[in-house]
Amino acid sequence: MNLEELEKQVTLMEDIQEIETLQRRYAYYFDSHQWQNIVDLFSDSTEYVELESVGRFLGKEGVKRLYYDHVGRKGEPTPPWILYLILQIGGVVDVDPDGKTAYGRWQTLLPEVMPYAGILRQQWLHGYYENKYVKEGGRWMFSRLDWNVTFYTTYENGWLIQPLLGSLWNPEAKADAHSINFYPYPSGYHFPYHYKHPITGK
Amino acid sequence: MATLEELQARITRLEDIKQIEKLQRIYGYYLDYDEYQKVVDLFSDNAESVEIADYGVYKGKKGVKKFYLELLGGKPPRVGELSIGMILQGVVDVDSKGKTAKGRWYCMMIEAKPTISIHEGELRQLWGNGIFENEYVKENGKWLFKKVFFFLNFRTPYEDGWLKVPVVGQNGPSMEVPPDAPPTFYHPYPAGVHLKPHYKHPITGK
Repeated sequence: MNLEELEKQVTLMEDIQEIETLQRRYAYYFDSHQWQNIVDLFSDSTEYVELESVGRFLGKEGVKRLYYDHVGRKGEPTPPWILYLILQIGGVVDVDPDGKTAYGRWQTLLPEVMPYAGILRQQWLHGYYENKYVKEGGRWMFSRLDWNVTFYTTYENGWLIQPLLGSLWNPEAKADAHSINFYPYPSGYHFPYHYKHPITGK
Repeated sequence: MATLEELQARITRLEDIKQIEKLQRIYGYYLDYDEYQKVVDLFSDNAESVEIADYGVYKGKKGVKKFYLELLGGKPPRVGELSIGMILQGVVDVDSKGKTAKGRWYCMMIEAKPTISIHEGELRQLWGNGIFENEYVKENGKWLFKKVFFFLNFRTPYEDGWLKVPVVGQNGPSMEVPPDAPPTFYHPYPAGVHLKPHYKHPITGK
């Protein structure tokens, strides 16, 4: 092996490490309600973000509309009792041979407290991510974030009794389109993988 | 094209991150099984401190021993006691010299713990969550803990949940094995206080 080939291998490992870190930082910023910091993790050429039933948001402008304007209430301080803990688990990251784009699948198990019809509710959520990343100026950024919710339930009832609680298609979020992959439990929907089978290649 | 020395430095950094990730996860596995001497041996002799939730600050390697061996390990584990700490979502940053590092982690806990004190009373089933912001040091080619800091988000009975009972159980510094200093940053839910990360924003640098 020559030095050039070795450097390629090292760069690939660095890329995977950086993308894993990017995804985890996204979640820590989310849980700390740092919405501008989240927006700044997205490329200016972002394709879209889709979050559960909230909708699909196009381009970097859509990223701001979703995270800063809608979830972040345009920078208004978040009440202290709002709680998100979007634990990032099970990352599978694949970098394209050109080293410029990458894809990652993750899941989150999410303890949450949110107001629902004016009453605070404690909730369990679960969902899978299929994200796309781009390397620009030597740094990895999000170019697509797609979060597909499996269940969204109250702590007291659980996912079988009440798979889905509230917050369906909110026009105030001003999404560009409805969510395309929103088929929560018990639909039996399988959120497609970005990867092929590692052994059979299918 | 990179030189051999440059590539070596880059590989070493990646190996350091992997070793630190392993160290942190092994720490979690030892804690689950109450293997406190093994936990203590993961700390540098020059360890700075350990501070978990509202137990207060235990300083130096001496304090580390006091906290894990005397306070947590003071009595043998009871039948039915359960401690599962899932160590998740590590963000590890190694300093440019490769001698020290910092790491942020989530810990999601499933526990069955005594109700009255750390060792006494009926068992209660619990959900817990918190964040580690830890420091590591490389000595003789091995990564060790320099500092462990754990910020508790909630510790709630399974029957109630984090909104109804955010924190239950052992509260405040121990009288029997007192810390060297009171808790420095204890703000569980619903305080709305967020523990700052050790890192700067990767894109804006802020």
